[in-house]
Amino acid sequence: MGTCIIALILVCVVALSIRSIRKDRKEGKSAGCGGDCRHCGGCCHDIGGR
Amino acid sequence: MAVKIALAGNPNCGKTTLFNALTGSHQFVGNWPGVTIEKKEGKLKGYSDVTITDLPGIYSLSPYTPEEVVARTYLLQERPDAILNLVDGTNMERNLYLTTQLMELGIPVVVAVNMMDIVEKRGDQIQIHELGRRLGCEVVEISALKEKGIGKAAAKVVEVARKKEASVLFPVFPEEIEQSIRQTQAHLGDAVPEEQRRFYAVKLLEKDEKIAEQIGKAADLCAEITTLEELYDDDVESIFANERYGYIASVMQACYRKGSRENITLSDRIDGVVTNRWLALPIFAVVMFLVYYISVTTVGTWATDWVNDGLFGESWSLAGLAQVPGIPAAMESGLAAIGCADWLAGLILDGIVAGVGAVLGFVPQMLVLFLFLAFLESCGYMARVAFIMDRLFRRFGLSGKSFIPMLIGTGCGVPGIMASRTIENDRDRKMTIIATTFIPCGAKLPIIALIAGALFQGAWWVSPSAYFAGIAAIVCSGILLKKTRMFAGEPAPFVMELPAYHLPTAAAVLRSMWERGWSFIKKAGTVILLSTIIIWFTTYFGWVDGQFRMLEEMEINHSILALIGNTFAWLFLPLGFGDWKSAVAVITGLVAKENVVGTFGILFGFAQVAEDGAEYWGTLAENMTAVSAYSFLIFNLLCAPCFAAMGAIRREMNHRGWFWFAIGYQSLLAYVTSLCIYQIGTWVMTGVFGIGTLAAFLLLIGFGYLLLRPYPEARPLRGRKRRGRKALAIR
Repeated sequence: MGTCIIALILVCVVALSIRSIRKDRKEGKSAGCGGDCRHCGGCCHDIGGR
Repeated sequence: MAVKIALAGNPNCGKTTLFNALTGSHQFVGNWPGVTIEKKEGKLKGYSDVTITDLPGIYSLSPYTPEEVVARTYLLQERPDAILNLVDGTNMERNLYLTTQLMELGIPVVVAVNMMDIVEKRGDQIQIHELGRRLGCEVVEISALKEKGIGKAAAKVVEVARKKEASVLFPVFPEEIEQSIRQTQAHLGDAVPEEQRRFYAVKLLEKDEKIAEQIGKAADLCAEITTLEELYDDDVESIFANERYGYIASVMQACYRKGSRENITLSDRIDGVVTNRWLALPIFAVVMFLVYYISVTTVGTWATDWVNDGLFGESWSLAGLAQVPGIPAAMESGLAAIGCADWLAGLILDGIVAGVGAVLGFVPQMLVLFLFLAFLESCGYMARVAFIMDRLFRRFGLSGKSFIPMLIGTGCGVPGIMASRTIENDRDRKMTIIATTFIPCGAKLPIIALIAGALFQGAWWVSPSAYFAGIAAIVCSGILLKKTRMFAGEPAPFVMELPAYHLPTAAAVLRSMWERGWSFIKKAGTVILLSTIIIWFTTYFGWVDGQFRMLEEMEINHSILALIGNTFAWLFLPLGFGDWKSAVAVITGLVAKENVVGTFGILFGFAQVAEDGAEYWGTLAENMTAVSAYSFLIFNLLCAPCFAAMGAIRREMNHRGWFWFAIGYQSLLAYVTSLCIYQIGTWVMTGVFGIGTLAAFLLLIGFGYLLLRPYPEARPLRGRKRRGRKALAIR
C-alpha cells in the first residue's frame, strides 16, 4: 500500500514537472535555461519586424 | 473605452523603472542601456481600461537599430492614444531630440522629466511651465526611482489620451525647410493619415528608405532634397538633425538654468578611478575575484555547508533547542515506516534526493553570487565594465558591446546569446555568440563549488580562476578567430552612455537575486528532477550474466549508464577523467549543467558530493587527482553549453553550418585546454614526461602560433543573414 501511495505521488510530481515545462514552452519560456525570461527580452520568440 | 499609452524615451532614462511603478510589474531593470529590446505591456495601476506599453530605449525615430524599428513600427502602426515621453532631466538636450520627433507623429504627448531629484541635487533648475509652453505639450517632473510625481504623470497622460488632441507646436525649421515639408505633405495626399503627414514628409526628405518603400513616392522628392542640400551645403539628414538641435538649444536656453555648484559629480570622481587607463582592469579583476571568492569560498560556503550538512544531511540544530532530522534522514524513516518497496525508496533517496539535493545544496552560494552581481549591475559599475572591456576587446577585434551579452550570460547563457542581437556587425555578432557561454553561468557555479570544495578543500583561487579562465577563453578566441579570414576586419565603433552611479534599493537588488535564484530552483524541480530519475534508472538497471535486472550498489559498473559512459570515456582519457562516471557527467551536463553535480550525487552517493570533509569524498577523490579535477572543471566550463543554450545559438546563427562551427569550436577549445592542463600539470606534479605531455606542448605551440600570426584580409561571411538585419549607421 505504501509503495502504491508513494508511486502515485511520484507520478504526480513527474506529471506536474512535465506540465510546467510544457507550459513554460508554450509561453515562450525555456525550461532548459531556467525560464530566466526577465533578462531575456523576448529571446525565445521573434522580435517584431524580424 | 480602452486607452493605449506608449512609454518612450532614450536608453537608460528610467523607462522600465517607471513602467514597473506605473503597472506594479517587476520587469528586469538594468543600469545600462539596451535592457529592453522588445515592447512590454501592462495595465496602468488605478485605471483598469488603460494599457501601458514600455518601448525599447531609442535615441530617434530613424530605423538604425532593431530597437528603433520596434518602437517606430509600434508608434506608426498601433497608433497609441498618447505617448508618455520620459526625458532624463540630467541630459535634457540629447533626450529632447527624440521628443521633437515624437511630436511630429500626430499623437498627444506628455513629457515626464525624470531624475528631478538628481537635477535638484546638482543645483540645476528646469522651468517646467516654460518647457511645456515651448514644446506645446504637458510637462511634468518626476523621479521614477523614488516614485515621486508618477501619479500626476499618469493622470495627465490619461487625460490627454482621452481628449485625443495632438500637440500643435512643431519644432520650427527655417522657412525654406518648412516650405519643402509643406510641398512634400501635399505630394503625400491621402496616402497617409492627415495627422501623420508631417512625420512622413520629414522622413521622406531625410531619405528614409523604409518610409519611401512604404509610400512609394520617394522619387518625386529629388528636386526638394537637392535644393535643400545645395542651400545648406550638407546632406539632408544632417540638415534636419542640426536644425532640431538648434531648436532644442533655444528651448534649453529659455528653460534650463545650470546651477553654480561644481560640475564634477561624484560619479565623475569615481569614474576617474574605476575607468582609469591603468587601474580599470586591475580593479575589475579585484572586484570579480572578491565576488567569486566571497560567494563560493566564504559566506556562500558557510550557508552551503549548513544546507548540505544539516538540511540535506543527518540533522540540523534549531537554534540550539532541538535537533531536526535532515531531509534524506526524515524521508528514509518515513518511507520505511509506510512500508515503501526498496526499489522505490532507492529511486527517491539515491536518485531524486541525492541528485536534486546535490544541486540545491549550492543554492546559498548561488544566491550570494547573484546578490553581488545584482548590486554591481544596479549601481552602474557593470556598464563601466563594458567600457573598460572595450579597450581590451578592441585589441583583438571585438568591441565593448560584445561584453553586454557576456555580462547577461553570468546569469544564464541563453539570454546572453540572445542579447547579441543588438550587435549590428555580423562578424562581431557571430564571434560574440561563440564566446558568450565561456563566461560561467549560474548553472556552472555548482560545478565550480563542487570541485573547489571537494577536491581543493576550498582553496581561495579555484572559483575566481574559473571566471578568469572564461575571460581568457574569450580573449584568446577573439584573437584566434579574428586572425581567420572569416572574422577578419575592424571592430565596429562602440559608443555607450555611462549612467550615473546610484545606490540601488535593497528591494531591487534582492528581487533580482531572487528572480535568478528562483529560476535555478525551478529548474532543479523540473529538468533536473526528471534527469535524476532517468539517471537513477540507467544507473541501477543493467545486464549481469546476460540477464537484465535491478543492480546492487556494487554492480553499477554493469549498468546501462556505465555502458553509455564507457562508449565515450576513452575520449576523456588524455584529459585525466577517462572513467565512465565522469564521461556520463559531461554528457548529462549537456541537458543542464547542474546535472554534472546531480549525476555525481547519484553515482558517488549524495554525502560524498555534498560534504567538504575528507572522510566523505574519498570515492570521488579516488577517481580524480587535483589536476584531473581542474581539467574536468575547465572542460565543463568551456565545452558546448546545455541544449537550451545550443538551441539559442542555432536560432541566432540562423545557419546550420555556423551552429556546428560554434559547437565544434567550443568543444575543441575545451578539449585542447583541458588536455594541456592535465598533461602539463601532471608532468609538473609528478615529473613524468609521456607522449601526452609532448602532444600537449605541441598543441600549445600550435595555439601560440595561431595567436601570434599576422592578421589576414577580410572576406565576406557566408550563410544566411537574419531577415531585416541592416548595417548600423553611426550617428
